[in-house]
Amino acid sequence: MNLPKLVWRNLLRRKGRFIFTLGGVAIGMAAFVTLLTIGQGLNREIRRQVQDLGANLVVTPKGWCAYEQISVLTGEQLPEAIPMSDVDKIRGVPGVKTAVPYLNEKTAFRNRPVPIIGVWPEAMRALQKWELAEGRFFNDVAEPAVVVGSAIAKQFQLKPGDEFTVRGKVLPIIGVLRETGTKDDIASFVPLPVVQSIYEVQGKVSFVAVQVEDLRQVDAVSLRIQEKANVAVVSDKQLLASILSIVGTVSTAMQAVAAVGVLAAAFGIVNTLLTAVYERRREIGILQAVGSTRQTLFAAFLLESGLYGLFGGVLGVLIGLLGAYVFGPYLTDNAFTASLRQSPVPSLDGATLLWTFALSEGLALVAGLYPAYRAAKLTPVEAMRYA
Amino acid sequence: MPEALIRVENVTKVYGSGAASAAALSGVCLQVERGSWLAIMGPSGHGKSTLLQIMGGLDRPTSGQVHLDDMELSNLGPAKLARTRARAIGFVFQFFNLLPHLTALENIELALWFGGKRSDEGRARAITLLDSVGLADKAHLPPGALSGGQQQRVAVARALANEPEILLMDEPTGNLDSTSEADLLKLLGSLHEHGRTIVMVTHNLAVAEHAQRVVHVKDGRIERDRFSGD
Ligand SMILES: Nc1ncnc2c1ncn2[C@@H]1O[C@H](COP(=O)(O)OP(=O)(O)OP(=O)(O)O)[C@@H](O)[C@H]1O
Ligand SMILES: [Mg+2]
Repeated sequence: MNLPKLVWRNLLRRKGRFIFTLGGVAIGMAAFVTLLTIGQGLNREIRRQVQDLGANLVVTPKGWCAYEQISVLTGEQLPEAIPMSDVDKIRGVPGVKTAVPYLNEKTAFRNRPVPIIGVWPEAMRALQKWELAEGRFFNDVAEPAVVVGSAIAKQFQLKPGDEFTVRGKVLPIIGVLRETGTKDDIASFVPLPVVQSIYEVQGKVSFVAVQVEDLRQVDAVSLRIQEKANVAVVSDKQLLASILSIVGTVSTAMQAVAAVGVLAAAFGIVNTLLTAVYERRREIGILQAVGSTRQTLFAAFLLESGLYGLFGGVLGVLIGLLGAYVFGPYLTDNAFTASLRQSPVPSLDGATLLWTFALSEGLALVAGLYPAYRAAKLTPVEAMRYA
Repeated sequence: MPEALIRVENVTKVYGSGAASAAALSGVCLQVERGSWLAIMGPSGHGKSTLLQIMGGLDRPTSGQVHLDDMELSNLGPAKLARTRARAIGFVFQFFNLLPHLTALENIELALWFGGKRSDEGRARAITLLDSVGLADKAHLPPGALSGGQQQRVAVARALANEPEILLMDEPTGNLDSTSEADLLKLLGSLHEHGRTIVMVTHNLAVAEHAQRVVHVKDGRIERDRFSGD
């Protein structure tokens, strides 16, 4: 006989209660893990998108809010507010290596919204290192044709030679991009002048992505651009920070809600163990008569509680990871994530996993303290009086 | 004069406080000789169990002293007292002696664990003990699958696990039919023959007759003390 064996037998005595209490812990932990995982995956995806933007600076109209800044990354529709004349000015600023304009519009294709991005074909090809999976790229800077991202092509079963209608204007699809793993997969690209004329926003673009010649000069270049043109300039790092702060707030809030669930589960443990102490009073008396110390009783109940934390934690992490993969796409279904090429892949690193277990175990042990104290406090005679 | 194993000196026990207080024991003096078999009798509610519990270090007297060998039980801290209960004292109660979720064998192993035995030694000894009370074949049954008499025998085996100085029993036959009672008394008789000190509370005169000495407790006092053959 030893302590773990005694505790194990006690744990499994009331199978129903054991399962329900454990279920509470597991579900609480699972929700926590799911949201944590999704949050981390989202975070990673955002970083990747910012990186794939390939720009050091993003030139936007003045007064954009964070949501519009996010749209730069997602390819959402944006107001057309920067005149082409500004684009030329920016290109002339010393220290600017490339300045590439984007015009983000949206069209309905077979009743599904599809981003239409007006671009400079060759500049884009150089900046994004695009490769074609099928067909060809634009021959001309104003060729009235469409190159579609791989996910769009797949979703609508498109291939070169098919037609794409934008605002009543029929454009031929000439190429399909190779998968990039970014938002480019879910957009369709048309030379900038063509989009401008279809949407009747001649001479206007949504934003300009700028690469600088010398990274150390980013701030100086940013200032110079703002002197030359009436625009706002945000660095990729600022962009990342502001997006992460929004998404971070949301995921922190979700995790806080999940943490409440974990806390409730901890109270479930307290409840179950207090009931057990009450039910086993007579046995506690017998144990003391046979020679158990108070410390042993305390340890036994604490260990019982700890096992709830251990099993609940393991189960919770497993269910939570599963949940993140299965439900992640629905849970994160919002304007931002929907426009990511794919749902963020849930990600959980070892350290976070360890912390999660520590949380589960720590809470369970804390939950066990009071019941264990109550058990250890019983005097043998008190305990024995209840048959 | 045989040497006293237990000396109860002027023990009082008062439950509750103030107006609600009631004395369960008032000035009890009692010596139990090593190797003797003592029965405690008396009307219900007059302090028999209280006396037994105080003798066994399960409860502390309000005043007075209890000596077990050269130890003064009321001076021991909780941990020492627990160890004394584990090693020097064996308890058997009227009912619900065994932990219901452990097998007969494990119930005995439990006592050996508290007595400080390693679990492999414990198991071997537990099997021997079960065998000595004639229940080797029931080792892996839970108490619920045993008869009342069998449960009491397991309880006795468990009480003996750590070779205690003394066996303290509170109405051990109170719950048994006459056959089981006879079996248990036979077992106690052989323990007595082997020199074990036994103190048992009983309401049954016929059971008390098996002891060498009968003490009557009334109103928290020792009223009559009779040695067999007196
Ligand atoms: N924990 C307690 N709190 C208050 N009073 C108690 C407590 N334990 C026992 N008593 C009282 O002390 C007195 C003696 O009780 P005790 O259990 O020793 O009697 P007993 O002789 O063993 O009776 P029985 O033959 O019915 O078992 C009784 O009046 C009982 O009510
Ligand atoms: Mg009694």
